[in-house]
Amino acid sequence: MNRRLRNFLLNYGFYLVMALVVLYFAANSRNFLAIDNLFRLANTAAPSIIIASGLALVVMTGKLDISVGSIAFVSCTVGLLLILRQGVPIPLGLLIILLTGALLGAVNGFIVVVLKVNPLITTIGTMIALRGVAFQLTEMRAFSIPEPLRVATNARLGPITIDIVVALLAVLAVWYLHTRTPFGRQVNALGNGEEVAARLGVRVGRVTFLTFVLSGLMAALGGMFLMFQVDSINSQLGEGYEFTAIAIIVIGGISLFGGQGSILGLIPGALMLTIIQAGLNFIGASPFAYPFVRGGIIFIAMYADSLKSFVRQRGRFAEEEGDEGIRLTSP
Amino acid sequence: MNSPQSSSSSASNPLANVLSRESLFRLLPLVIVLIAALAVGSRSENFLTQQNMINVLLQSASLALMAMGMTVVLITGGIDLSIPSLMAFSGILGAMVLRDGGDPLVAGLVMLATGAAVGFINGFAVAYLRMIPFVVTLSMLAILSGAAVSVTNARSIGLEPGSPFISGVSAPVLGIPLPILIMFAVMLVLEVLLRSSLFGRWLFAVGTNLRAALVAGVPSRRVIALAYVASGLLAGAAAVVTTALQGAAGPTFGREGVVLDVVSSAVLGGVSIYGGVGGAINAVVGAILITLITNSMNLLNVSYFLTLVIKGIVIIAVVALTTQRKG
Amino acid sequence: MSQPFLQMRNIRKRFGAVEALKGVTLEAHAGEALALIGANGAGKSTLMNVLGGVYAPDEGDILLGGQTARLHSPLEAERSGIAFVHQEMAMLPTMSVADNLFISHFPTQMGRIKRTEVLDACRAALQRLGCTFDPRVRVGDLSPGDQQMVEIARAIMTDPKIIIFDEPTSSLTSREKQRLFDVIGALKRAGTVIIYISHFLDEAFALCERAVVLRNGETVGGGMMGDLTYARVVELMIGAQNASADREQQTRQPGAVALQVEGLRREGVLRDLRFSLHKGEVVGLWGLLGSGRSELLRSLVGLDPIDGGMLRIAVNGELRALPPGEARRWMGIVTENRRDDGLLLPMPVKTNMSIANLPELIGRIYPFVDGRREASVSQTYVERLKIKIADLRQPVRTLSGGNQQKVIVGRWLQKAPLVYLMDEPTRGLDVGAKAEIRAIISELAEAGAALLVVSSDIDEIMSISDRYLVLNRGRLVAEFPRGASKNELMAAAAGVGT
Repeated sequence: MNRRLRNFLLNYGFYLVMALVVLYFAANSRNFLAIDNLFRLANTAAPSIIIASGLALVVMTGKLDISVGSIAFVSCTVGLLLILRQGVPIPLGLLIILLTGALLGAVNGFIVVVLKVNPLITTIGTMIALRGVAFQLTEMRAFSIPEPLRVATNARLGPITIDIVVALLAVLAVWYLHTRTPFGRQVNALGNGEEVAARLGVRVGRVTFLTFVLSGLMAALGGMFLMFQVDSINSQLGEGYEFTAIAIIVIGGISLFGGQGSILGLIPGALMLTIIQAGLNFIGASPFAYPFVRGGIIFIAMYADSLKSFVRQRGRFAEEEGDEGIRLTSP
Repeated sequence: MNSPQSSSSSASNPLANVLSRESLFRLLPLVIVLIAALAVGSRSENFLTQQNMINVLLQSASLALMAMGMTVVLITGGIDLSIPSLMAFSGILGAMVLRDGGDPLVAGLVMLATGAAVGFINGFAVAYLRMIPFVVTLSMLAILSGAAVSVTNARSIGLEPGSPFISGVSAPVLGIPLPILIMFAVMLVLEVLLRSSLFGRWLFAVGTNLRAALVAGVPSRRVIALAYVASGLLAGAAAVVTTALQGAAGPTFGREGVVLDVVSSAVLGGVSIYGGVGGAINAVVGAILITLITNSMNLLNVSYFLTLVIKGIVIIAVVALTTQRKG
Repeated sequence: MSQPFLQMRNIRKRFGAVEALKGVTLEAHAGEALALIGANGAGKSTLMNVLGGVYAPDEGDILLGGQTARLHSPLEAERSGIAFVHQEMAMLPTMSVADNLFISHFPTQMGRIKRTEVLDACRAALQRLGCTFDPRVRVGDLSPGDQQMVEIARAIMTDPKIIIFDEPTSSLTSREKQRLFDVIGALKRAGTVIIYISHFLDEAFALCERAVVLRNGETVGGGMMGDLTYARVVELMIGAQNASADREQQTRQPGAVALQVEGLRREGVLRDLRFSLHKGEVVGLWGLLGSGRSELLRSLVGLDPIDGGMLRIAVNGELRALPPGEARRWMGIVTENRRDDGLLLPMPVKTNMSIANLPELIGRIYPFVDGRREASVSQTYVERLKIKIADLRQPVRTLSGGNQQKVIVGRWLQKAPLVYLMDEPTRGLDVGAKAEIRAIISELAEAGAALLVVSSDIDEIMSISDRYLVLNRGRLVAEFPRGASKNELMAAAAGVGT
């Protein structure tokens, strides 16, 4: 294939597909493109966008954190139970949610950086362990959030909800951190290869640790809005969000191999996922189709990602080029 | 540069190699957990009875089959997170065949074939499309659990109590329930395949040093793809056993702790997450240990939730221990 | 003559039993370029690593501007004004030039990178190097030459008094090379000391005022470039007393063509190579580091991609086209780095020896390897190659380097390919093991195999080869018969017209 065409498709293919999908749904249902509906979609996507924005920093270093859904669950549980049972003031309770998230992120960071456990195994372990903690705390029951909090968080300006505003701010903040501060640049440098980064004087352990802390913090913030949206916590809170967040990240064009992509891509990435879900509902598709459609899209996005990094690395050992792709751990 | 290593101490005694400090270290977590499980379990009267032992083995069967699949993939240096959800999904498809009056044999084959087919997709994506195994199989997990929920409307599919499928799979042979025999039979076959078949040899070579394997002419991509097919097939076998033992199949069967249990079984049994080390026996021993832990916690009335916490900590601790001594 | 700015006096450095530097003395003057010349293993890198603060010398002084300098770490060296442009670049390809130059020390204001300041500093540095690209460009999108410039920019941003260039031209096109030389010229005019390490003598003569030649860790000569000739420098590098190497084996009569290569090419690495290998001969592939030697071997067996070319292999006396996927059925390759891509280190000797030949060792039942035959075949080659092991099940990691290398050779002997490709087969081995490997190479040729052998050791390659192919920057520049002299080989590889 023509190289230029291929590069174009690799870089912009998704926006193309997204436009087509929107057009298709718009043509098949009258209200799909209504402003109200679009904002409703954005509102639904907001918590996942927030979670993805923190996780994206970990991904930029070339690692993964799949404990984010569980961190969201535990942090919200801790905060809400303190509010409900210990009479902790609401603002303090919310602050505790965020701090718990950051703390749990720090635990992940500690295990990865200091104990040198593979990040995937680490976060599988904490994902399950933390879900167990939250189950234990809630005894699998649901808890409603206090009335004043419910009222406050349902505030909206026309169609714009707090959730949308916070999600946008979160993405902008992480984008600023990633592109405009030394820390953000060093995060990206790690994704280019930890050895090279270390040779250039980057403190690899410290930067890695901080990315996990931020990932935990944003997971808690995202979880908080998830809680606000359903006005309660239940045993499914945050479940599967690690995967949704990774999906948003890949579709948003951030490479799972690290060091590549823009945080701003999270917004179209999340919208794409949400639009497909909503669109399938709108045209009355069988719910059976949804996991396959979504899964298919994510597969294609990941394939495009590995193809891009394959193109980037061309010139190396021919059969070895998928090396990272084949191995769980670097040799 | 790499100075030539002295070979005096270990070369003189081959036995010293086999029982080197390294392999002892590999056994260490296993021994600790075994002792802990026995110590905890022996505080309860029921623990050491023959019936409880049979129960433990029976409960281990499905987990052991999945752990063996995980082991094959871990040996290549990859990982397959989709195993439990694939087990659930295959079980559901098979149970639907049974529900619609299908032949038990057909139902079993459907489960195995579903497993192998999904495993092939995983393997193809990892080996030929060069995608990251962790992410490929995580997506597969999400797809399959979504599919399982939508196919069943989130309800489990029960088999009729007297279904020939149940009696066929779980019938005792010589006083031992068939699933236990299946587990050990698969273990023996897989162990022999891993140790002395062409595929097994290539598998270890690829997992030990992919570049060296390529240079030596090993068809690495084919081997890696096949590893995921094997893993899927074993998930299908686990579906057969689980469906028969539970008398049902449902979307919740592969949830939460199961992924962790599968990874932990392999790692605890001594399979390396860095590739190139492990075997079917390791997986089965690990699975039995994990079941023992679960079992003894039940007996001690530890809540399911706390069990999840403990298991999460155990796997991190075991990997941390093995990583530390690697330096 | 002014006083030299840099003086290294009587530097000694020993690694274990090996004395890498045996009292080297070197002087360099401000505003001049000094060529540091020597064959592989002469001690150039060790000497420069001493200057760069990587190694502490066992003995000797370093004087900068007449003052004794303390250089106990790379950081101290940097503070003393010494910058090192490494051959192996440290690049962050997905990031901008500015990020690459400032990654560990961004100037900030309230946590925010002072972007204008960074960009200005980058532009200034790039301008000094005559580069026109913007500092916001991604490094991965730059040509290798421009990337090299980024590496140099990183060095000059500290305003060093001494810059060491280690093989800076190996990845450059001739235009990029010219630009680099202009930059070095400008640095010299600004009063910087340049130390220039290169295998290419023409560059040294074009660029440098002085030369120092090292051999076996000693200064063997040097002086003003104008007083030296190519021939003299080559003679100093290899030692005059040893100009014709001893041959270890009898003359062999090469047989029919075993492998024919036509138009093999890969952009930027291999240029339209054509040659053939005959049965029963050892062809020495001679060239400098970065000439494409290893890449050629790897391309032949399909381990590296190629952009074009045709291989033909002799099957039953007839030449037949060889598709890349089948190459390894006919050719065995011993790679340069046995630990990285040769051995399965934790696995037993037996496994390491049989891995390439497993399909041939299938027993009566299809997918199962006949373990007894595997062991007996491996045992045969252990004995034939005199590999010292206690047991076939011993992990290959526990063997000495020489025995490890023999295991790899034994692997291919089992498979008995038509062509053997060997990349530095004796690297890192002791004298005895080297001799044994050389003897095996001769035996193989006498048994009718075709061998293509790469070695950086000129004496070694001269002692085993029946014929030489010389590579220079991916091109076959010369072919010599057995009788070629060392000087001819050296000169051809260094790109000096013969």
